[in-house]
Amino acid sequence: MEPIRVDFRDQIASNKRMSFFLIAGIFAVIVIFGYVISMAFEPGYFFLIMIVSIVFSISYIVLSYYNSDKIAIASVGAKKARRDNYREYYRLVEGLTIASGMPMPRLYVMHSPAINAFASGRDPNHAVVCVTDGALEKLEKRELEGVLAHELGHIASYDMRYMTIVAVMVGMIAIIAQIFLRSLWFRSGNNSKGNAIFIVIGIVMAILAPIVVHLVQMSISRKREFVADANAVKFTRYPDGLIGAFKKIQHDNTPVDKKVSKAVSHLFFTNPFKGIGSTHPPLEKRIAILERM
Amino acid sequence: MTPLIWGIIGIVGFIVVITFIYYNRFAVLSNRIDNSLSQIDVQLKRRADLIPNLIETVKGFAKHEKAAIKEVTDARKALVSAQGTEAKVKADQGLEKALKSIFAIAEGYPDLKANTNFLELQRELASTEDKVAYARQFYNDSILSYENKRKTFPGNMFASMFGFGVKDYIKIAEAEKKVVKVEF
Repeated sequence: MEPIRVDFRDQIASNKRMSFFLIAGIFAVIVIFGYVISMAFEPGYFFLIMIVSIVFSISYIVLSYYNSDKIAIASVGAKKARRDNYREYYRLVEGLTIASGMPMPRLYVMHSPAINAFASGRDPNHAVVCVTDGALEKLEKRELEGVLAHELGHIASYDMRYMTIVAVMVGMIAIIAQIFLRSLWFRSGNNSKGNAIFIVIGIVMAILAPIVVHLVQMSISRKREFVADANAVKFTRYPDGLIGAFKKIQHDNTPVDKKVSKAVSHLFFTNPFKGIGSTHPPLEKRIAILERM
Repeated sequence: MTPLIWGIIGIVGFIVVITFIYYNRFAVLSNRIDNSLSQIDVQLKRRADLIPNLIETVKGFAKHEKAAIKEVTDARKALVSAQGTEAKVKADQGLEKALKSIFAIAEGYPDLKANTNFLELQRELASTEDKVAYARQFYNDSILSYENKRKTFPGNMFASMFGFGVKDYIKIAEAEKKVVKVEF
């Protein structure tokens, strides 16, 4: 039976829509949680918690967002790729910037036998792309091009900015939950019946909400990966390149890179930690969708 | 001031902002079309510029292959003298054909094949060919974005208001995707 064809533009649109709804969902959780707390205690308390959590979450994350390109490169020990040594790498990316209408990102290479790549940076004018030695050696020209197109897709979709906003909101919920739970110890016993119900709901939310929104965050990350795959097809009009790269990765038995910390693993092309498939969709699913384009 | 006046101010403000946004959007999309057209020309020029060096290198090893060399030289002349992007793209297709012959002939000259300058030029030419294809693709994509904005609501209202009409664009077909295994 012929698989139903999927247009990459529709893929981009529907996954972006999904990620928007999910982020709206996280926002709703913040609002509801805040409401529950303000009913359990007083509204003034709610505002205090909100301000504290916003300040902490934003300052930590925004600092790393603003320097996301430098941080990502430094954390994996990547080296700037000199044009003379990596001519084909530069040529491929140049072609893709023409196809996508984007400015040229700064190019880096990471020493690792595994096939992988990542992109970072707060917007297309401050973007970096990094590939592993393994990718440059093991992939064919069109396969490498597909991987690079996927990375440029992340930059074009402002995924760094998007996921930072998500991270800020998830961080806020975690902080709100912590403050709420700890403050329960210090409440004097003046709880009326009405308050008590909200306190119970608040406790339940404080325990469950951080876990739930973390899962939602992972789901958003997976949707953005699908968008990047579809963007790769939009730029190259050649899904087979990316499919070939995925298949090579599936059969690549290179052991896990200890150099890559958990903190940056979500940025990578495929999750370097095989088995923890949360931030990226499973390769089989990504191949299946690409084959329908 | 009464709520009614606030309401009117709000609506007028909204309309002003929306007008700004749509006008700018159309200007950007229109510029993108012009810009991408010139990008095609840029890449074609680069292709033409690589040819003299290639000819010299080939002559160094296989100067008796006069027919093939002449074919490439003539094709380059045609490309350089072509007027307008549509004609240039057509001339480039002729150049690509001529280059195929030269590269096929080079197979019979192991010294030429192994020459680093020749290899580098071969890769550069392959790369610029991709870039021409991508530039054409981006040109067509830009037109599609512009037309979509122009034909859908509410863009269609603003488009006629601002005078963003049907762009007088030349139809440049997408290049067929070449799958060439090029060794690094």
